Amino acid sequence: MTGAWKKYRIPYLFISPFFVLFLVFQLIPVVWTLYISFTEWNGLGKPVWVGWDNYRLMAQDYMVSDALRNTVVYWISGVAIILLLALLIALSLNSPRLRFKRFFKTTTFLPYVCASVAMGLIFGMLFDENAGLINEILAALGGPRVPWLTKSAFAKIPVVILFTWRIIPWFTIILLSGLLNISREYYEAATVDGAGTWRQFFSITLPLLRHIMFFCMLTITVDTWKMFNEPYILAGPGSSNTSLFQLMYQYAFQTFKLGYASALSVILIVILLSISVAQFVIRRRQGEV
Amino acid sequence: MMARRSSLHSALLHGFMLLVALVCIFPVLWMSLIALKTVGERVTGFHALTISQPTLENFRRLFTLIPLWSNLFNSLFTTIVGTGTTLFFCSLAGFAFAKYRFPGRNGLFYFVIATMMISAEAGAIPLFIIMRRLNLINSLWSLIIPRIATAVGIFYLRQYILDVPDELIEAARIDGAGDFGIFRRIVLPNIKPALASWASITAIVRWNDFFWPLLFLNKNSKYTLMVSVSMLPVSDGLATPWPIILAGTTLVILPAVLYYLGMQIFQKSGSFAGAVKG
Amino acid sequence: MPGKQEAELSARESDMKKTLVALLLTAALLVPLSAGGSKEAGKGPGGSKVYPEGDILIWATGQPQFRKMYYQAFLDRHRDIAPKVNIEVVSLKTMAEGQQKLAMYALSGDYKSLPEVIMLDTVGVVELSTAGLLQDVTDYYNKIADQFVDGAVADSTVKGRIFGLPDAVRPQLLYYNVPILKKYGIDPAGMSTFDGYYQAGRQLKEKSGGEVFLSYVDPGNWTWRYWGRRGLMPQAGARIWDDQGNIVIGSDPGTKLALNFFDKLNTEGLLYKTRMMQQPIYEATDSGKIATFYIGAHWAEFMRKNLTRTAGEWRVMNAPVFKEVGKGGAPVSTFFCLVDTKTNEYTELFKMLWYDFQTNIDLRNAWVAEMEKLKGPYSNPVSKAMLAHPFWQEPSPFFDGQSFRKAEGDGLANPSKNMMVTASDAEADIIISAELEKYIAGEQSMTQAIAAMDRELKLKVKKAKLP
Repeated sequence: MTGAWKKYRIPYLFISPFFVLFLVFQLIPVVWTLYISFTEWNGLGKPVWVGWDNYRLMAQDYMVSDALRNTVVYWISGVAIILLLALLIALSLNSPRLRFKRFFKTTTFLPYVCASVAMGLIFGMLFDENAGLINEILAALGGPRVPWLTKSAFAKIPVVILFTWRIIPWFTIILLSGLLNISREYYEAATVDGAGTWRQFFSITLPLLRHIMFFCMLTITVDTWKMFNEPYILAGPGSSNTSLFQLMYQYAFQTFKLGYASALSVILIVILLSISVAQFVIRRRQGEV
Repeated sequence: MMARRSSLHSALLHGFMLLVALVCIFPVLWMSLIALKTVGERVTGFHALTISQPTLENFRRLFTLIPLWSNLFNSLFTTIVGTGTTLFFCSLAGFAFAKYRFPGRNGLFYFVIATMMISAEAGAIPLFIIMRRLNLINSLWSLIIPRIATAVGIFYLRQYILDVPDELIEAARIDGAGDFGIFRRIVLPNIKPALASWASITAIVRWNDFFWPLLFLNKNSKYTLMVSVSMLPVSDGLATPWPIILAGTTLVILPAVLYYLGMQIFQKSGSFAGAVKG
Repeated sequence: MPGKQEAELSARESDMKKTLVALLLTAALLVPLSAGGSKEAGKGPGGSKVYPEGDILIWATGQPQFRKMYYQAFLDRHRDIAPKVNIEVVSLKTMAEGQQKLAMYALSGDYKSLPEVIMLDTVGVVELSTAGLLQDVTDYYNKIADQFVDGAVADSTVKGRIFGLPDAVRPQLLYYNVPILKKYGIDPAGMSTFDGYYQAGRQLKEKSGGEVFLSYVDPGNWTWRYWGRRGLMPQAGARIWDDQGNIVIGSDPGTKLALNFFDKLNTEGLLYKTRMMQQPIYEATDSGKIATFYIGAHWAEFMRKNLTRTAGEWRVMNAPVFKEVGKGGAPVSTFFCLVDTKTNEYTELFKMLWYDFQTNIDLRNAWVAEMEKLKGPYSNPVSKAMLAHPFWQEPSPFFDGQSFRKAEGDGLANPSKNMMVTASDAEADIIISAELEKYIAGEQSMTQAIAAMDRELKLKVKKAKLP
C-alpha cells in the first residue's frame, strides 16, 4: 500500500481538495439533515425524536403538494421552453445568413449576466396588475389586464418567464459550441446528396447534438428543482407559485420548524437523485452513455 | 425562386433575432431608465417609459442608505478570490483526472459527476452550524472556501486538459520537470481559452450570489452588494422609492455587464463557444 | 473499505453528539442566567466606570443609521467613561427577521456575533425571552417607570418580568384626504365607528362612480398584518388561541366580527387592490384614488417620503371603533432589548443611552428637527415630560396644519389590547395570511377562509406553545 501511495500521491493530492470539501460542506450536512428530519427542533433546544411524524404531516400539508406541483410545472416547462428557444437561437446565431453576429451574440447573452434578484424586482414591477407596463400595453391593445401575480392560476407564469429569460443564454452558448463542432463537410455532403434544410437538421444536427442536449436537460432539471430566487421575489397568493426549495427555506428560516424543513430537504434530494438517475438509465438503455 | 425563398428566410431569421434581442435588452434598459428618474415622477403604466427630469440623484442617495463602498469591496473580494481559487483547484484536479493513471480514477470521476446532483442548498441548516464551528460566520471566506473545487469546474476543465498533447507532458518530464511544474508551465498555458471562459462564468455567478451571503453574513458592512441592494425595497421602516431601488440594481448589474462587454470586445468572437465538447 | 466507512460513520456520529452536547450545555447554562436576572448593581448615569474599547452593535428596523447619529453623539459627549466605544448598526428588514437571525446565531453558539441590543416587537420579546436570550430589566425600569406613559412596557412583560425598554408606542390611526371627503360630502366625524366608515366608503363609491376607493387591500401578506393582526382583530377582541393555547379562531365571535367586516368592505368593491409599501400605491394615492388609510402611525413617514401631489391634504383621527366593543386601536410597541451575550459589557452604558434619548428634551427635539430635514423616521417620545413639551404639539404642513405629533399622542386613548402572543404566532401568521391571500384573489369566500385557517392551524400547530 505504501508503494502505491508513493507512486500515486500526486494525483490523489491534486484531487483531494474537492473530496475534503465535499465531505465537510456537502456530505455531512446532507446526512445531518436526514437525521434532523426525524426530529422536531426549533433550533434553540434539543432535537426531539418524532420518527416519521414530519413525513406524515407532509402528506397532509396542502402547501407541500402545491409546492411539489409548482416545481414539477417549473421543471417541465423549463426543459421544454429552454431547450426549444436555446436551440432556435443557437441555430440562428450559427446561420451563415445572419449579419451583425457580434451584436446579436452580445445582446442575447445579456440576461444571464443580470442577477436574478435584481431582475426579479424589475419583472415584479413590469407584471404589476394595475401599474405594470405589460398590462398597460395589453389594455392599450384592447386586451384584459391579467392578474399576473394576484391570482393563483396565473402566478406561475411570471416566475417561469423570469427564470427562462435569464438562463436561456447560458444554454444557447452551450448548444452553439456544439453546433460549431459539427463540421461543415457533413452539411455540404448532404446538400450534394439532395437533402433539404429540414432533413439536414433532423439527420445531422440533432443526432450530433444528443450528448449536449442530454447534459442540458440534466442541468435544467437540477436548476429548476433548486429554484429559489424567482418565486421568492415574485410571490403569488398563498402557495400558488412557491417552489419546494422555497417552502423548505420558509419552514426553516421563517418559522424555525427545522425538523419539518429537513424532511422537505430529504424529499427534495430523493426526488432530484431519482430523476437524474432515471435520465441516465434511459440514456444507457438507448445505448448512448 | 431560390433567391426569393432565401430572402424570406433571411427576413424571418433577422426578424426573429431582432425580437429576441429586444426581449433580452428591454428589462435592463427599462431599469436604467427608471433609475434616472427623479423620485416623485410617475413610474406606473406608460409613464414608465418617459423621463421628464433625468437625474443622478438616486445614485447619490444610495450612498446614504447602504455602505456602498464596503459592499462593493466585499463583492469584488469574494468574486475575484473565489474565481481565482476555483480556477486553480479545479484545473489541478482536472489535470489529475485527465493525465494521470491511478487506481479508482474512473470511479472517483463518476463520483464527482454524481455529486453535481446533490445541491448544497439542501443542507443549508447544518451547513450554517458547521460554518459557525469553523468560525466562518460573517466572514467572506465562508463564501469562498466551500466552492474552492466544484464538480462542474473539474468536469469542464478536464475536458480541455484531455486535449493537451501527451507528448508535451512527456517531454517536460524527461527534462526533469516536477508534476507541479508541468502543471504550471505546460498545462495552464495550453488551456487559456477554457480558463478564460470558465473564469467569466464563475465570476458572474459569484457576483450575483444571493442565498449564501444572505445566510452567512450578518453585518451591514459585511454584506455583498447584491444582498444590500435587495434589502432596499421592502421593510417595516424603509420606504425606498422605485427609482432608488432600481439605481441600486443598476449598480449591481452594471459591473457584470461592463465586464462581459469588455471580454466580448477583447476576445475573438466565439471564444465563449467551445464550452462543452462532445 | 468497510473499516473506513465505519470510521467515517462513527466520526460523524461523535461529531453530531458533540454538537448536541454543546447545544444542551449552552441551553442549560442560559436557564440559570436568565432566571437570576441582571448581574449589574445598577450604577446610575454618570457613574465612574470606564467601558472597554469596542462597538455597541444594535440591530433595528426603521433606518437605524439615523438613530446611530444620536447615540454616537452621546458617546462623543461622554468620552470620559467611554473613550473608545462606538455605535454600529445593522438594518433589519423586519423585526421578525432580526428575531430569527438572533435565534440562529445563538443556536450555533456564535455569541461573538450577537448584537448588544436588538429592536423587537411583542412577538420577538416573548419568543426570545422564553429562550433565555434577553436580559431582564425589571428592576432597572421599575425605578423610573413613573416617568413614562402608562402601559409602555405592557407588551414587553413576560410572566411579570420586563425584557424590553420601550422605544415607541404608536397608535392605530385613520388617515383621510380632506379635499376628497369634502368633494363627496363625507363628514370625517362620521367615521368614528366602523359602521360610519363603511357608509363613507359606499358614498365614495357611488358618488365618484367607482373612481375613488375608501382604502386599499394588498394581495400579499401585508393585509393580514395591517388590517388583521394590528387592526381589526384586536379591536374586535378576536382571538386565535384561548388561554390554554387551543385553537379557537374558527369559532371565535371576535374573528367573525373583524373579518366579516373586512369582507363587506372588500366584496362591495370599496378597497383598491394594490401592493402595499410600493410605488403603485403611492401613485394611486397621489392620483386621488385612495381616500383613507386605517393603519399605524408609522405610515406617516411613508406618506411623507413618497407622496408629492397630495402633500398637505391629509389629516388623522383616532381609529374607528366597533360599536359592539367600543375600544380604540391597539398600539404597536417596539422595544430595545438587551441581549444576553454572556459578556454583557455595555449593558449599563446602553441603558444610559436609552434613557438620554427618552428624556433629554433639547437634544431629542434637535435630532427630530434634523430628521425632518433628512426625511428620516421618528416617533413620539414615551416619556411624559417630553410629550408635554410644546415641540410635540407643533403643527405639520403635510397634515394640513394639524399637529401629527399631538394626534399620535391622542391616538393612544382607549386602546384595545393586542392579541395574545405565543411562540407559535410566527407560523400562525403565515398560515392565516395564506388563506386570506386566496380569499383576496377571489378563490374562496371569507367563511371558507376562516374555516381553512382553523383547520390548517389545528393540523400544523395543534396547540400554541405558551410562554
